[in-house]
Amino acid sequence: MGRHVGIVGVGQTHHSRRRTDVSQAGLVREAVDRALADANLSMDDIDTIVVATGPVLFAAVNQPEKWVVDAIGAQLKPVVRVTSGGGAGFAGALAGYYQVAGGFADRTLVVAYDKLSEGALQYSISTLYDPFWGREFAVGIMGFSAAYWRARMDALGHTEKAAAMVAVKNRKNAMANPYAHVKKEVTVAEVLASKPLCWPIKLLDAPPISDGAAAIVLASEDVAAKSTTRPAWIHGIAYYCEADNAAERSMLLSEPLAIAARHVYRAAGITNPRRQFDVVEVQEPYTCFELSYYESLGLCPPGGAAELIASGATQIDGDIPVNPSGGALGANPIGAAGLIRLIEGATQVMGRNESHQIKDAKLALVQSGGGWANLRGCAVLGA
Amino acid sequence: MHAAPDTYAIDLPALHSELAMPYTLTPGRAAGTFLAEIGKRRIIGSRFASGLTIAPAEDFSPTDGESDFEFVEVPATGVLTAFTQVGGDIIGLIRLDGCDNDFPHHIVEAEFGKLATGVRVEAVWAEGVENSILAITGFRPAPGTPIGKARPAGDTAAPVTVILYTMKLHYEHAYGPYYARLFDEIRTNRRIMGVRTSDGDTALLPPREIDDITHRRTGTWKACKDTGTIRACSIINMEFLGQTRPPPYVYAEIVLDGASTRLIHMITIDSVEAAKTRIKPGTRVRAIWRKGEREGSLRDIERFEVIDG
Repeated sequence: MGRHVGIVGVGQTHHSRRRTDVSQAGLVREAVDRALADANLSMDDIDTIVVATGPVLFAAVNQPEKWVVDAIGAQLKPVVRVTSGGGAGFAGALAGYYQVAGGFADRTLVVAYDKLSEGALQYSISTLYDPFWGREFAVGIMGFSAAYWRARMDALGHTEKAAAMVAVKNRKNAMANPYAHVKKEVTVAEVLASKPLCWPIKLLDAPPISDGAAAIVLASEDVAAKSTTRPAWIHGIAYYCEADNAAERSMLLSEPLAIAARHVYRAAGITNPRRQFDVVEVQEPYTCFELSYYESLGLCPPGGAAELIASGATQIDGDIPVNPSGGALGANPIGAAGLIRLIEGATQVMGRNESHQIKDAKLALVQSGGGWANLRGCAVLGA
Repeated sequence: MHAAPDTYAIDLPALHSELAMPYTLTPGRAAGTFLAEIGKRRIIGSRFASGLTIAPAEDFSPTDGESDFEFVEVPATGVLTAFTQVGGDIIGLIRLDGCDNDFPHHIVEAEFGKLATGVRVEAVWAEGVENSILAITGFRPAPGTPIGKARPAGDTAAPVTVILYTMKLHYEHAYGPYYARLFDEIRTNRRIMGVRTSDGDTALLPPREIDDITHRRTGTWKACKDTGTIRACSIINMEFLGQTRPPPYVYAEIVLDGASTRLIHMITIDSVEAAKTRIKPGTRVRAIWRKGEREGSLRDIERFEVIDG
C-alpha cells in the first residue's frame, strides 16, 4: 500500500456548448487557477503535473500538453499526458494518485479538458474502430452504446422508460449545478417522445457536446493540511480493461467495472455499497449506462436497475443519490468528464458542494470509463 | 548473448485510409487579436507585467504563465536568428524588434548560401489576406533597416474567435498475415475465414494470432457461414459527418454462424418503427454480397438482411 492521498483543491470551468472567447490552453488555465486558489497554493507548490484529454482528433492539436504547460506556468516541472477516451480525466487522476501514493510527489496537479465544439465528434470517435473491421460502419460511440442497451433491454429489463427516469432525474439535478450548461427539466413522456438518434438512444437520453476543463490538486498526508482541514481522502481507486472483441464479452454487465469495484471496495472496507455510500457520481453519459452501472457497482442486483430508479432511491433526496450534480447530461466535456465526477464526489465528502450538498455525506462512490466501454473504473472518497 | 529473432521485414500492399476532418479552432483573445489586426498590416504582440514582450501575441507568458499583459504594436522589422531550407523554401526564425521571442516564417527574396543569422529582415506583405499569419508573405533581408520599438497598440480590433481548418490524414495500414488471408478469401472466394480459439471449434473474427481469453496461440483456419445472429443493434436515425450511408439503417453487431465474436455491419430498413420490432438481438440475418468487382474488404458485403421465418 502506498501513502494516503487526498484531494485538497478542485476547480472547473463553466462548461458550455461553445467557448469562443478562449483557446484550448485558456480554457485549461481557468480550471487550474481555480483549483490552485481552492487549494490555497500557487504553481510553485506543485511537484508534478498530469494533463488528461480525449483523443487529439477531437480538436486537432497533437501533443497538446506542450501548449498547456506554457499556459499554466508549469515550465520545467515533470509533466505527463494521459489519454483514455472518455475515462481520460479519471485515468489522469489515477496517474496522479500513483505519483503521490508512491512517494514521488507530495502535490500533483491533474488537469483534464476537451473542447469538443472544435471538431467533428462522432467522426473522430469512429476512428477508434479497427480500420479493417467495422470503421466503415461506425456510428461514433452512440451506435455502439445504443446497440448494447438494446441487448440489456431484453436481458436485464433496462427499458426505455427506466432510462427516461434517469434523464428526468439528472436533467433536474443539473438545474442547480452552476457548472452545467444544459438546464431544462423534462418529463418521462418527453424523453420517450424525443427524436430517436440511435434508437433506443433518443435525443434526451444523450449528453450535450461541451467545452470544459477541470482540475484537482492531490496531496500527501504530510502537506494536505496547508490546503484544507478536510481533504477528500481516496480510499481506493482502480481502472480496469477488458478485451475489445473477445469471445466471452457479453456487455450485459460491465465486467471491468465489476472487477474495479471489487478491488476498490476491498481496499475501502465496503461490504454493502447500497447502504454504506452517501452519494454516487457516475459518468453516464447516455442514460442507459447509468442503469448498467447501478448493477455493475453492486447498488442493486443484475436486472434490478429499472426497479432501483423507479423506487426513487437514487434521487437527490433518496437513500443513495446518484448524480446530484446532473452528471454528464448537464455537461460533457469528454476528457474532463471523469475528473468532474471525482470533483463532485470530493466536494460532497468535504462538505462544501456549492449547490447540491448531500447532508452529512461522508463516503462517496465515483465511476468513470472510456474506450469501447472496455475501460471502466471507480473510486471511493471519504471525509 | 541476446540473439535477434529470425524474422525480417516484408513490404506488402497496405490498406490506404484517409481521414478528412473539418475544425472550428478558437485562437483565444491574444492570438485572435493578432489575427484580427494582421490584415491591416499591424503586428500585435503581448507585453507582460514582467516586461517580457512577445509577438505574435499570446494570452500567457511562455516563461512563467503570467496572464497580466497589454497589447503592443511591434515593428515589421527584426533579426534572423536561425534558418533552414525545406524543398525550395527557406524557413527562418525571426525575432522582431522589441520582442523577446522568435517565431517561424518564410524567408523570401533571399539566397540560402548568402544568408547568415543576425541579418536584419523586414516583412513582405501579401495582398488581400486577412485573419492569417500568411498576411505576411515572408521576411526578406533588409540590411541597415533601422531598429524599431514595440509601443502600446491603442485600440485593437475585436479578436477573431473562430478559424476554419481542415485536417487531412493519410494512412497505410499493414494487413499482417491474418487480415491478409481474411480479405483475400473475401475477394477471391466470398468466404469469411476466422481462426479457431486455442481450445475450441468456434472461430474468432477477425482472425488473430493470440486467443484473447486463453492468451495462447489460436488454432486452425475455419470458414464461417455468411449467415448469423444479431448480438446487438441500434437504429441509426441521425446524420453525422463521416457517415457512409444515409439514415435510417441498422447498425448491427453480428455473430456469424461458426464464429464467437462480432462482425460489425448494417441492415437496410424502410422505417424506424418497423425495425424496432423486426430487428433485435437474436434476429437471424444473412449477408448480401455486392455485385460486380470485389475489393477485398467488408464493403464486398453490401448489407445484411433479415432471414424471414
